[in-house]
Amino acid sequence: MRRDDVRFAMAARDDGMRKISRFTWRAGAVGAACSALIAVAFGHSVAAHEHGHGSQPSQGIIVPAQPPAPAQGAGQVVSGAS
Amino acid sequence: MTSVATAGDTFSVFGTTATLVVSEPAAVQVARTVADTELAAVDQACSRFRTDSELSRLNAADGRPVAVSSLFAEILGVALRAARLTDGDVDPTCGGPLADIGYDRDFAVLAAAGDTGPHRAGPHRRVPGWRSVQLDQSHGQARLRAGAQLDLGATAKAWAADRCATMIAARTGSGVLVSLGGDIAVAGTPPDAGWRIRVTDDHAASQNAPGQTVTIASGGLATSSTTVRTWAMGGRQMHHIINPATGEPASSCWRTVSVAAGSCVDANTASTAAIVRSGAALSWLQETGLPARLVRHDGSVEITAGWPADGAQADRA
Repeated sequence: MRRDDVRFAMAARDDGMRKISRFTWRAGAVGAACSALIAVAFGHSVAAHEHGHGSQPSQGIIVPAQPPAPAQGAGQVVSGAS
Repeated sequence: MTSVATAGDTFSVFGTTATLVVSEPAAVQVARTVADTELAAVDQACSRFRTDSELSRLNAADGRPVAVSSLFAEILGVALRAARLTDGDVDPTCGGPLADIGYDRDFAVLAAAGDTGPHRAGPHRRVPGWRSVQLDQSHGQARLRAGAQLDLGATAKAWAADRCATMIAARTGSGVLVSLGGDIAVAGTPPDAGWRIRVTDDHAASQNAPGQTVTIASGGLATSSTTVRTWAMGGRQMHHIINPATGEPASSCWRTVSVAAGSCVDANTASTAAIVRSGAALSWLQETGLPARLVRHDGSVEITAGWPADGAQADRA
C-alpha cells in the first residue's frame, strides 16, 4: 500500500470514529433527556395517585368479627336510613 | 361481657337523631359530653350547609389548593377510600348533582318546602369523580378540580359514629353504642346479649317497625334506603343516594339495604354501594363476605354472608 493510501485510510478511520463518537454522545444525551421526561411524568402520576387516595390503608372493606345474631322483640335502637 | 343495665341519651345532630347507649349508666353524662364535642368538630369541618365549614371553603376554592385541618383531611381520606373500595360507586364529588336536584339546603328546610320547583332541564351535571380530589394529608392540603363539589354525607356521619364510640369507650371504660341517624357503631365491652338493633327502612321508626331485630357485639351496622330523605322536584320524587354514573338519584331494585361490618363507616360504604349497584349488589356482598339484609320494593328480603334468617323473610311497608 502506498503511503498516501495509508494516510487516506487513517484519516477516513479517524473521521468515522469521530462520527460514531458524536452519534453515541447525542444518542446518550437524547436517552438521558427521555429518561428524565419519563421519570417526571411517572413521578407526577404516582404523586397524583397517592394524593388522590390520601393515606388510608389499602385494605378492603372490613368484615365484622361475627355476623349479627338473631334476636326477638324490639331493639334498643333502630338502624334505618336518615 | 357485662350484664349491667344500660342507660341512654337521645338528641338532634346533623339534621337527624343521635342515640347513645352505655353499658355503665354512670358513664352517660361523660359520653354525651364527648359526643357533643366530637360531633361539633365534624359539623364545623364537613357541613355542606355552613358557609364557614372547611368543606364549603374547599368547594368555593375554584380549583385552588386549600389548607385543611387534620380532622377534615382524615374524613376526606375516608371518603376517598370508600370511593376506591367501591370502584367509585360511593363518590364524594356528588355535591353538584345533589344541589341540582334540589338538595342544596338543610334537609329539614328542604322537607318543609314541598315541591322544590321544576326539574332542571337539559343534561345533568356530571359527577366529576373522586379522582378529581387531591389530598395531601402530610401537608394538610386539599385541592378540588374547579367546578367539582364535595358532599361527604355518605361517609362522614358513619365515621363520626365510629369515632364517638371509640372515644367514649376509651374515656369511660364503658361499653357503648352510638347511633347517628341509624348509622350504628359499638365499642368496648358489650352487654351479655349484645347490642339489640331493630333493622328497618327509617331510623325514626318505632323499635317494633316492620323489619328484623338482630344483635351485634362489635363493629358497626348501617342502613341505606331510597325511601327516606326524599323530596319532590317538578312532580318527581327524589332521594339522596346519587348514582355517580348518571348524576341522578340511584334507581335500585332494593328499597333498603342493611350491612354489618368491622366499622360503621365500612358498613355504610357497603350499604350505599349496594343501593347504587342494584341487582349486582347481592353477589358483590356475598363475595366480600359482608353480612347484609336487602329488601326489595315489594318487601321480599335477601340475606348474605351469615346475616340471620328472618322468620317472615319479607318486610311489608
